[in-house]
Amino acid sequence: MKTQKRRPWRRWVVLVLMIVGFILGGIFVPVQPEITVAAEKLIEEPIVGNFLGLGPLYLVNTLPTLAVTIVLLVVLAFFTNRSLKKSAKTDLVPQGIGNLMEAFMELLYGLTEGSAGAKWAPLIFPWFATIMVYVLFANLLKIIPGFESIGFLLPAQGEGRTIAELGAGWANILPAKVATGGYVLVPFLRGVSVDLNFTFSLALIAVIWIQVVGFQAQGFGYISKFFNVRTMFKTPFFGAMDFLVGLLELISEFSKILSFAFRLFGNMFAGVVLVAIVAGLLGRISILPSMIMMFELFVGIIQAFVFGMLTMVFMAQATQGHGHEEEHAEVSAEAH
Amino acid sequence: MEGNIVEAARFIGAGLAMIAAAGAGVGIGLSVQGALTGMARNPDTYGNLLTNMILGIAFSEAIAIYALVIAFLMLFKVV
Repeated sequence: MKTQKRRPWRRWVVLVLMIVGFILGGIFVPVQPEITVAAEKLIEEPIVGNFLGLGPLYLVNTLPTLAVTIVLLVVLAFFTNRSLKKSAKTDLVPQGIGNLMEAFMELLYGLTEGSAGAKWAPLIFPWFATIMVYVLFANLLKIIPGFESIGFLLPAQGEGRTIAELGAGWANILPAKVATGGYVLVPFLRGVSVDLNFTFSLALIAVIWIQVVGFQAQGFGYISKFFNVRTMFKTPFFGAMDFLVGLLELISEFSKILSFAFRLFGNMFAGVVLVAIVAGLLGRISILPSMIMMFELFVGIIQAFVFGMLTMVFMAQATQGHGHEEEHAEVSAEAH
Repeated sequence: MEGNIVEAARFIGAGLAMIAAAGAGVGIGLSVQGALTGMARNPDTYGNLLTNMILGIAFSEAIAIYALVIAFLMLFKVV
């Protein structure tokens, strides 16, 4: 095999992009955006007046991002499928993206098998992998440049910012604040995980399917985890204690929904606000916000991993019976 | 001495909310300490311990993040 002198031209692309970003950060001064917890409405009127009898449905700026996320996932699935089919025809050795996804899925399956055991891993793995890949894409899309920074300029109700016309209907927002006659920015795209609706619905799906997996694994006996009357008549005092502990388990299922939803939302929202504040404070020096962006990359991956991993661990717990703890309770009852 | 008492209360409240970060710091430190001790005693368990350590750190960190969100909500008059 002939040795070639490699020409790693791609690293120069990265360097050029960094310099361009630095210069652009100097020309277009970063402005601290309006920080809102709820997603902003792109169109003031609801697109569906009364959605399923629940209320009006607005076109908020997380919905386009959600569409982009799903399209990206479908494209990824398509190319993975094509690559794997091609390798199945030849020598069963996956190449390119098929190889990458196979390695990733094998890693996740190994994790599932390690916690849930070989018996229940096939039942749990699809939920774990789906949630993890979905949240990973939702988190990583948020840090693409242009998110939260390009959008409509609307006249502000109260205090707003001044703008500078760039021509062709575009304008640049300036850091100077004015009391009246200013503008606020409503971005076209906002990261999906910076919307409490997304994280909360994902948490609801996860917790409901934890219960479904519990019922699938243990049958109707799963409900004795919450309403534990098995030991009530044998040992009245500790039976009553077990019953109370079961009720606590029931409450903890509901608190799981809240902690799932607020953990992801809180991390992502704090990341957005942190980048915005540091950029707004430093003005033309754009090197520190990009460092925080890099930290956001790390946080996005970790939070996706944690969301999926916790779903998997809770599902694995739900598949295991309550028998072990009952034995423990009986032993301690005899000891007393 | 004059000023807006509500503004002052917002800043004080945001500062007080971030006290929770102390607890999260202790939690993260303890979990890393435990994991490192385990890794030093038995280097074979490195991968397994690292995964669980990151999970534990994420749990502790979430508390600080809750406090940070509360502080942001106060600072920017969102609610």
